Amino acid sequence: MDILQPIIALFFFPAGLFVLGNGLAYMWVDRKLVAQYQNRIGPRWFQPLADVMKLLSKEEIIPENVDPRLFIGLPLLALACALTAALYAPLLGFQPVLSFEGDLIVTVYLLSVVTMSLALAGSNTADRFSLIGAVRTLTQLFSYEAPFLLALLGPAIVAGSWQISTINAFAGNHWIVLTQPIGFVIALIGLMGKLELPPFDAPEAETEIVKGALTEYSGRGLALFQLAKSVELVVGLTLIAAFYFGGIANPITFFLKTLILLLVLAGLQSLFARFRIEQTARWWRYASLLLLVQWVIIAVLGGKTL
Amino acid sequence: MTTLEKFIVPIGPQHPALKEPGHFEFTVDGETVTAATVRLGYVHRGIEKATENRNWTQNLYLLERICGICSHTHALCYSLGVEALAEVTAPPRAQAIRSLVAELERVHSHLLWLGVAAHEAGFDTLFMYSWRDRETIMDVLEGLTGNRVNYSANVLGGVKFDVDDKQTDTIRRGIDYLEERTHHYLSVVTTDNTFVQRTRGVGTLPREQAEDIGVIGPMARASGIARDVRVDAPYAAYAQFPVNVIVETAGDLEARFVVRLKELFESYRLIREILEKMPTGDLTVRMPRKVKEGETISRVEAPRGEAFYFIKSNGGEKPERVKVRTPSLCNFTSVIATAPGHQLADMPMILAGIDPCFSCNDRMVVLNGESLMTWEQLRQYGIEYYK
Amino acid sequence: MKLPIAGMLRDVVESLFKRPMTEKYPFEKHPAPERLRGELMWNPEKCTGCCLCSKDCPSNAIELITIDKKAKRFVMEYHADRCTYCAQCVQNCRFDCLNMSNTQWELAALSRKPFTVYYGKDEDVQIILDKQAGAKTPQPKPVTT
Repeated sequence: MDILQPIIALFFFPAGLFVLGNGLAYMWVDRKLVAQYQNRIGPRWFQPLADVMKLLSKEEIIPENVDPRLFIGLPLLALACALTAALYAPLLGFQPVLSFEGDLIVTVYLLSVVTMSLALAGSNTADRFSLIGAVRTLTQLFSYEAPFLLALLGPAIVAGSWQISTINAFAGNHWIVLTQPIGFVIALIGLMGKLELPPFDAPEAETEIVKGALTEYSGRGLALFQLAKSVELVVGLTLIAAFYFGGIANPITFFLKTLILLLVLAGLQSLFARFRIEQTARWWRYASLLLLVQWVIIAVLGGKTL
Repeated sequence: MTTLEKFIVPIGPQHPALKEPGHFEFTVDGETVTAATVRLGYVHRGIEKATENRNWTQNLYLLERICGICSHTHALCYSLGVEALAEVTAPPRAQAIRSLVAELERVHSHLLWLGVAAHEAGFDTLFMYSWRDRETIMDVLEGLTGNRVNYSANVLGGVKFDVDDKQTDTIRRGIDYLEERTHHYLSVVTTDNTFVQRTRGVGTLPREQAEDIGVIGPMARASGIARDVRVDAPYAAYAQFPVNVIVETAGDLEARFVVRLKELFESYRLIREILEKMPTGDLTVRMPRKVKEGETISRVEAPRGEAFYFIKSNGGEKPERVKVRTPSLCNFTSVIATAPGHQLADMPMILAGIDPCFSCNDRMVVLNGESLMTWEQLRQYGIEYYK
Repeated sequence: MKLPIAGMLRDVVESLFKRPMTEKYPFEKHPAPERLRGELMWNPEKCTGCCLCSKDCPSNAIELITIDKKAKRFVMEYHADRCTYCAQCVQNCRFDCLNMSNTQWELAALSRKPFTVYYGKDEDVQIILDKQAGAKTPQPKPVTT
């Protein structure tokens, strides 16, 4: 009996199939919101699911000049890391499946591995578009991952712990977004940069480099990468909502808070033109300065949080 | 000791940046472009040869379908040429209606271009909104002519339909709405920083270089060359309704946006003026079935620049030769000239900035050597070439 | 107040509360404008058989079959798949026999057959159809005893 509980948690609920379904649903909500902002109808509810099913049924073409083990293994690695990161996040407001002191770093690191496997997949081929996309992904990784982690450390400092469930419980009593608005903005922009959402989608700019690092992927590999990205979206939104928006205590607040964040995210997606890669790479300078300011404020306010 | 191979990024023939096939090779060093080449010819359909087998009226509709968004200008240019050969002048009301449809088409084309250029920059919201507003002008054109593109307004000797009061009302209301939206787009394009940092200073073509290369149309006007066929050689009703030429001096991508958007305002003004002062009279004039022998040249300002037709008749029912030179052909070399030094991410924007219309272009076949080929020889040459 | 960034902010926020502009065809259909150039319609009453319409058709979509020239009985074979909907034939006809419909514009079909339309008086069209049917079926061999 003891072994059944973790297996269900790992494969079905709340990680595993549930978080995959949640990821697809949030992808649909994102597309529908962007369509609403652009005054048009978006796709129907089953579109991301249909896309994944179609991709899984198509032939996977392995190009020449690639290492086939890496080609097939990297999507699996990406999805595995994303799902493992979901094990530590407080999905649906329940306690995370696994939890230990310092798991914030492990979670963010696992999410970075997703981006890095994307870049590695791009540089694996001889296709020029993939190579340029891989280089751009890595450039953006340096620019956005570090500020994202540092911005999540702000609430960790105030809560006095590096364990996600503890920070979640602490944030349940304090709305940290009010005392650390700069950190919130940086975390949100960092999430957009990690996920390569417009306007930070230079690594997969459709009109310049076809699909960036994923140009050569089709069929199963592409489906797994897309699933990994959608799980990353859910986990990222959960973390930001849990840390800044007053913690997640039950399923209702989970859906409410993450959907509000998704509304803001979709709005930011539709407002700006795409940045060139050297323009996005300037972000780390501003982000570091702003984060320093934020931390000074935290130090000054001391233990006096709202 | 092997030398480093050049890293060439091919854009086209199939690429999400291009709406029609064309091949551009950019030699890239990191993200900076160092050289560029152009290759066209993917959409060659043999239209000039096909005109020799159809009579004068049938050719009107064949040539209208060279391009979807400059279709009226092709038909207009051809009609003007054939009418000049037959020594027939269309009545003033028909000329005014021809100019009206030409200006409405210019509005349609520039709104379409705004959306496409915004899409190349990654600004999908502007793309969606400008194409939503383009639906207004397409509905106006559908109510006026019967179709959203390929208006089929011209006949040899005049126009097919009349503009009555109800049409005038619809056109005016559509233009009022669009004018408001164009003000908004002009301010977005010139003040939104995320967009401006993609267009200001990008793809600069100084005036001397522009004259050297020979660019025409809004590209040239954005570099300070004030050339517009409607002013230099007025045709249809433009002598009666004069046009102000919009010129910008910066020569970069932003200037091209501004020129095209300001031309929209000029078109709105012209449309209102034509509707107000429409001359009365017939719609068509009698046109002989056999056109007199001779050669003629006609030029028209398409939304992309000057369209040029050479028509030769030998007195029969079918033309002897129709030669078409469309404006986009002159602008492609500017891509090669302005690309080096820019980032790869600027390439789609520079391409969109010349407003390329590949299907208009592919018409020239260059024969190496001095020989004259018969039709069968040419077909055999083509079959061998593609083996 | 012009912000230096997010020029489309007003549009985007307003659209959140507006209905989408998309026309939900085929569930919602807007009526076509009056001058729409849809499928060609021919009225055989006044036709004199001058064939100006078929002479100037850019794509040879009209064929006028003469049943009886003196009695002015004609059948028009119209190929809707070759037609370019340019309305040159309508312009050419001096007796107003032709017009382009503004209600018949949904012309998609699953085979080539619906695209060949025969216009004319019923008995005339029947003659043509019989001729076609007669040409297709082979004559049965006479039975020899």
